[in-house]
Amino acid sequence: MPLLADAHGPDEAREEAPRPTLEELKARKARSRQPFEVGSEVITVSMGPQHPSMHGVYRAELDLDGEIIVDVRPEVGNLHRGVEKLCEERTYHQIIPITDRLDYIAGFAMNHGYCEAVEKLMDLEVPARGRYIRTIASELCRLSNHILWLGVHIMDLGTRTFFCICFRDREYVLDLLEMLTGARLTHSFARLGGVAKDLPDGFEHRCRKAIEFLPKRVAEYERIIKHNRIYYKRAKNVGIFTSEDCFAWRVTGPALRAAGVPRDLRKDDPYAAYDEVDFEVAVEYNADVYDRFLVRMKEIRESCKIIEQCLDNMPAGPFVARDITRTLPLKSDVMRDSASMIQDFYQVFKGPAVPKGEVYRATEAPKGEMGVYIRSEGAGRPARIRFTTPSFYHGQALPPLVRGEMVSDMVAIFASIDVVLGDCDR
Amino acid sequence: MSDPIAQLIFLIIKAILLPVIIVMMVAFIIFFERKFAGFFQGRVGPTYLGPWGSFQSFGDIFKLLSKEDLIPDKADKPVFRMAPYLIFIPAFLVMAVLPFGPVGGEANLFGYRFDYVIANFDAALVLFLAVGAISVYGVVLAGWSSNSNFSLIGGLRAGAQMVSYELAMGFSVVGVMLMANSMSFVDIVNGQAGNFWNWYFIPQVVGGVIFFIATLAELNRTPFDLAEAEQELVAGYLTEYSGMRWGLFLFAEYVNMVVISAIMSTLYFGGWRAPLEVLDFIPGPIWLFIKIAAFIFLYMWIRWTIFRYRYNQLMSIGWKVLLPLSILNLAVTAVVIAIVG
Amino acid sequence: MPSRGEWEAIVTSWIVDPALVKQCGELEEHFGERLNERTEFRGEITYLVRPIDWYEVLRFCKETAGLAFDQLDCLLGDHLPERSSAPFEVVAHLVSHTYGRRLRVKTSLAEGEELASVTGLWPSAGFDERETWEMFGIVFAGHPNLRRLLTVEDFEGHPLRKDFPLAGIVGGRVRTDLRGKI
Repeated sequence: MPLLADAHGPDEAREEAPRPTLEELKARKARSRQPFEVGSEVITVSMGPQHPSMHGVYRAELDLDGEIIVDVRPEVGNLHRGVEKLCEERTYHQIIPITDRLDYIAGFAMNHGYCEAVEKLMDLEVPARGRYIRTIASELCRLSNHILWLGVHIMDLGTRTFFCICFRDREYVLDLLEMLTGARLTHSFARLGGVAKDLPDGFEHRCRKAIEFLPKRVAEYERIIKHNRIYYKRAKNVGIFTSEDCFAWRVTGPALRAAGVPRDLRKDDPYAAYDEVDFEVAVEYNADVYDRFLVRMKEIRESCKIIEQCLDNMPAGPFVARDITRTLPLKSDVMRDSASMIQDFYQVFKGPAVPKGEVYRATEAPKGEMGVYIRSEGAGRPARIRFTTPSFYHGQALPPLVRGEMVSDMVAIFASIDVVLGDCDR
Repeated sequence: MSDPIAQLIFLIIKAILLPVIIVMMVAFIIFFERKFAGFFQGRVGPTYLGPWGSFQSFGDIFKLLSKEDLIPDKADKPVFRMAPYLIFIPAFLVMAVLPFGPVGGEANLFGYRFDYVIANFDAALVLFLAVGAISVYGVVLAGWSSNSNFSLIGGLRAGAQMVSYELAMGFSVVGVMLMANSMSFVDIVNGQAGNFWNWYFIPQVVGGVIFFIATLAELNRTPFDLAEAEQELVAGYLTEYSGMRWGLFLFAEYVNMVVISAIMSTLYFGGWRAPLEVLDFIPGPIWLFIKIAAFIFLYMWIRWTIFRYRYNQLMSIGWKVLLPLSILNLAVTAVVIAIVG
Repeated sequence: MPSRGEWEAIVTSWIVDPALVKQCGELEEHFGERLNERTEFRGEITYLVRPIDWYEVLRFCKETAGLAFDQLDCLLGDHLPERSSAPFEVVAHLVSHTYGRRLRVKTSLAEGEELASVTGLWPSAGFDERETWEMFGIVFAGHPNLRRLLTVEDFEGHPLRKDFPLAGIVGGRVRTDLRGKI
């Protein structure tokens, strides 16, 4: 009696099943909504902001009719630090550590997105080695984010064991990031024109060992969870968010790809070295929690492939552009020669030379699309900078997702949408 | 000294000793839970206090006792204070009728007959089912009296869940009752005399499995721990309890776990009997202890491995799967016994 | 610093996608002079429209099959105090998933001028517009829930305006008035 394996049939059956159309998804969504009469007594429960599962200080005021959610009123802003106002007083180089704290789980991805935007504004070209190192670090951040997401998602469903196991595996990635950037969480590794330091000795060897080991672990997790009857019952056809809904509510990233839209900015609008590596976009078609899980697992495997290709094809050369007016000099030079020291001083206090104009650049952060809008008046400090972070919109999209679902489902759905409050509140 | 006075003295000794032993066991079980949790999760549990960290529970008890006793302003104070006790006092009641060694004529202590049971009660099984229901009161009243929405939802969920699974539990033990032809735990254990193939878990395997699953729900343990689902409702009906009152709830849960493990081993696994007759020289209480430990380990193993069901799925399992199966089990048992005699 | 000629050379090397230019041709055809200005910088096209035409232009962008800008990437506000006639700006970034293109639409507002809310077109504008109101004081007519989003409910002032100091007006204070209420 198969209790655990193949709850829904083998993988091949799932892959060959016909892809559901938009109407079918909407019908499934309507069916899975529990019927309720709004006249009956409704309890208001405030979930958060202090809450073990709400991914930070997110507050959701639920109106419950028994177990069913009648209405949700999300409240964000408990972690607002005024990042955009802070950035207006800083030069472009000084903003990089602030971007770390946006999505603090994938710090380098935020740095990277910001640097891409400023480099677009300044029309600064990043040398090949710098692009490849940035790609490796971004993909390591993606791995870190997705493994953490997996642990938190399964913990929200009930077991803390999996969380500990995932964190144990995430330690490998964090150790690599520490070796590369010097920090585990707030990397501040990207610089305008490249990265801060070159790959250290022994990094390549260790990285290869890690990316050989991680896909096997992911295969094990998939095997445990994908075919687990309980997970299947809790995640299949739960939290369906069709592509129309995703566009309307600006939900991007794995949730959009789970709805059947193959939009990945690494392919559609490539930056860093993504146009020089070969990888697949993870797409699923059922738009539920189960598919978002599958998409993220596939993305972990693809990330490992990307890192391996980058290590194989790592070009030689400088890892950061050298331009007196626009980039910071190497720290080793600053300590030795006075022209570099003057350049360093000038760059940090006066800022790089940027033209007047406005620019918007979106990159594929692990949680979704992160965009940076910069309006510059030609000074070394931005006149207006706006970080368009994925979690802001995902937090807003909670009401249409969970209205009509049960409380336990709400926790699972909210975990699958992947919200981090640093990203949301800025 | 005449026999009645000796029996009275023995009774007093047993009545004092048994709760003390259970309480000590619970202290170590809490420690073992944390240690096993650590091992399952790839880390070590507590290691600081005592050899291998084993005095951790005592440290926790002292810490909890030193905390401020917070009762919410608008809570129903008498009920709030009483609720934890309603959960574990029934468990101690059931321990009073459970035999942990041979009863009647076999053992003797200083020449007087020593029964390894506090009260050889004729309807012990019914007593177990009845007082098990009182535990539900404790949970629901805890949630209700806290005057908080979270706790209310948690308490009601727990109440509904426990009541549903009690039905399946009740039907599955009737099978054992039919086989032993008696409702007394002493008779049930005596009916399993012999080796381990005489134990009731072989003919009553379906009933045993159903009973095990139903007790997971009764104990509010994963995968049925919706009532205290940390991720969803902070702590469900425990939310407003802090300090030693919270400690009392935890204590109650583990006492229930010990008692239910004891009952499970009594009903299906021979109680204090040895698996093979040659091993009879090891005293009964030790065997019971080993079996209780095995079941407690099984409960912990399940808790740290499986994740929880959604509430409506949980209820549908209780009503639509376990209850019909247990009734079927009962019917088949009755028919077989009628045929075989 | 590069000379002016060098800057111009840099700017013109970013060519706008001709398909996007063609699509915007359709937009320009429909609205003609109501589109005040069009700039191209770093391969992006920006249109400046009047506040009265804001909703209509965005609706045309969304609903015309040729343009099909189905996602509002972000909507933000801006404050340019040096432009005294119309110091505020609202910028909307549109994305078309069908064609994979981006467009920026801007409008300039005077102090106290209201703008139509686009939450009817894209619900994701809800939080964006709330934040813009909170940070700049630009009122969006027709928004269902225009309240403070990221700052405290009784916050006074509009923080991202250029005349609002970074350290805030009130400064750090202990909220003794909230004792017993939270």
